[in-house]
Amino acid sequence: MTRVAPLAAAFVVTLAAVTGGAAVAGYVTADGAAPAPAIQNDHYQNPDLIANDTPGQATVEMDASAGSQTVLVDPGVEPATARPVLPFSLIGLGGGGVADRDIRPLANALIENGHEVGVYVPDPDQQRRPARPGAEETTQLGERLAEADAFVTFRTDYEPDELDAIESFVESGGHVVLATEPDAAYSQPGAASLDATLDVTTESGYVYNMEENDLNYQRVYAEATGDASLTEGVDRAVFPSATPVGTPAGGADVLRPIEGSELSTTRAPTDAPLLVRNDEVVMIGDSDFLSPDNARRADNDALIGNLADFLVTNDRTPPGDGGSTGPTQPGPGQPPTNGTAG
Amino acid sequence: MSADKPSTALTSRQQVAVVVLAAALVGAVLAPSVYAATNEPSDTVAVVEIEGPVNTALADDVESELADIRANESVGAVVLKLDTPGGAPVASERMYKAVQRTSEDMTVIASVQSISASGGYYAMAPADEIYVLPTSTVGSIGLNAPAPRASSTALGPSGPDKAGSNPTQAWAEQQTLADTFINAMMAERSDEFEMPREEVAKADTYLGTEAVQNGFADEIGSLNEAIHAAATEEELGEYTVDTRETGQEFGIPFLVRTDTGIVAIHANDPGYADVKPMPSTYVYTPAVPHVDTIERFSETDVRTGGAASTERGTPGNETARLSGGVGA
Repeated sequence: MTRVAPLAAAFVVTLAAVTGGAAVAGYVTADGAAPAPAIQNDHYQNPDLIANDTPGQATVEMDASAGSQTVLVDPGVEPATARPVLPFSLIGLGGGGVADRDIRPLANALIENGHEVGVYVPDPDQQRRPARPGAEETTQLGERLAEADAFVTFRTDYEPDELDAIESFVESGGHVVLATEPDAAYSQPGAASLDATLDVTTESGYVYNMEENDLNYQRVYAEATGDASLTEGVDRAVFPSATPVGTPAGGADVLRPIEGSELSTTRAPTDAPLLVRNDEVVMIGDSDFLSPDNARRADNDALIGNLADFLVTNDRTPPGDGGSTGPTQPGPGQPPTNGTAG
Repeated sequence: MSADKPSTALTSRQQVAVVVLAAALVGAVLAPSVYAATNEPSDTVAVVEIEGPVNTALADDVESELADIRANESVGAVVLKLDTPGGAPVASERMYKAVQRTSEDMTVIASVQSISASGGYYAMAPADEIYVLPTSTVGSIGLNAPAPRASSTALGPSGPDKAGSNPTQAWAEQQTLADTFINAMMAERSDEFEMPREEVAKADTYLGTEAVQNGFADEIGSLNEAIHAAATEEELGEYTVDTRETGQEFGIPFLVRTDTGIVAIHANDPGYADVKPMPSTYVYTPAVPHVDTIERFSETDVRTGGAASTERGTPGNETARLSGGVGA
């Protein structure tokens, strides 16, 4: 019986030696899975990676010394109960109550310098009224334009009689700023008519710049190509979504996209202008640049100030002095203005 | 008599021998499993699947599988089997880091099935080689996000940036998110890309045939060819293939486009808690279905499949719940 203990011990020792040997062999031949050191990715730690998010400052100043002028703004708001309108959303307007919000920097500059700013929103009931037989046909827009010295519009789909009113307005010396958006021509009938009326052109597609831009490839920089009053003090302007525009008249008052810009439809380099002036008309291939946020980018504030000067520096003398745009009916609370070039 | 003793009992030496023999036999039986537990044979190519939208669950699994592979001496090489349009930025980065670390230890080859774009491309970029099929889709290096808009002033938050109402800050953040991705891809593959950074940043996608020309991929080849290439690179000789599935059950969560952005839906029959908006994504949008498309299919299903609709209960219920969830 005394031999049981040594036998048990021999069994245990042998078993332990075999299994232990196997374990040791396994561990010895295995490469330990020591934690690997962290991999430094320099590309994540480049300080230039972090985009500058300073909103910037805007100081919109006017130089023109013209007397009080009336500037009519058509934000492109459709008559009430119409479907949500594309141009309306394009300029970032939230609803009927804030129709002038996104052009506030421009409107503020005009108001601060003693000018009148009116917003044109068509009244659906009046717009659809039948023309009285024999009466000279007029339009709500025509009536409002008759009282105005300058016109700012974001809309392109005007009716023929409205286009006539705009044409007469321009011919009588009124200044027009037309701010459009890329591909407006595709979605809105009548854009070509307005372009023809104002003698300007637009191209399809938008301009972008992958090399140098304002926080997004579509927010392109444009720079002046010569000395002109519209581009005075504008080293660079930012257009958040711009389409090339043109005018057969040419001229020096233009902003062109900086080097590296390309057109979306062709993917080819472009330096086609984003802002042109055709005498009484300034055509801009973007409307967002007027918003309060974008007015603080680059020299947009100087550009907006120049546009305000352009609007009030006109040769038009409305109304009552023989305005040629149909019957003029100065509305209550809107005294006739007698602005002249300053 | 003493002469009888040896005939009826073993000598002590014999007894010891018997015991040792018994122990050796038992040990011999146990030894393979003990050995296997500590050291498997080093001839396995692990295939890690990265399929479906890139999200946290997928990144969890891929990280865990790759960590296990790095610790497992039996795995000599890794092949990533990719079929994803991308997804969440952080999940993409996590997989990128895991693949990068694994690639330092052993050969990693990415094998693209139908698509590996955006966040999927991000994840596989540190691989030693990218295999594509002729009509696979790769690329889309960039960020997908809606244009920031000025929001009405929030009253109540403790600071001006708490509710985030400055479009310029949002633009800057989006630009940083995009550049983070693009810079990482340039760091990984600028030697391969046959184009400058500006062209890469256009976020185009390429078919496999073009990708092997412009450096977005390295070889035309199937999964098996990628596995063979990985084994050959590591001189594995005879090898076994160990496929490791990742992510949750197929397709969940799935990504859906809405008019305002992309949402991740975490259930087939989603309630409010199952729908998560994804404001900024590394995703190839055309590969993400629009919610209208899904609803249309769902409606057809309900209308034509009479038996199916009675099984489900109220016809149209699913559609209604889906749209309700997405609307949230």
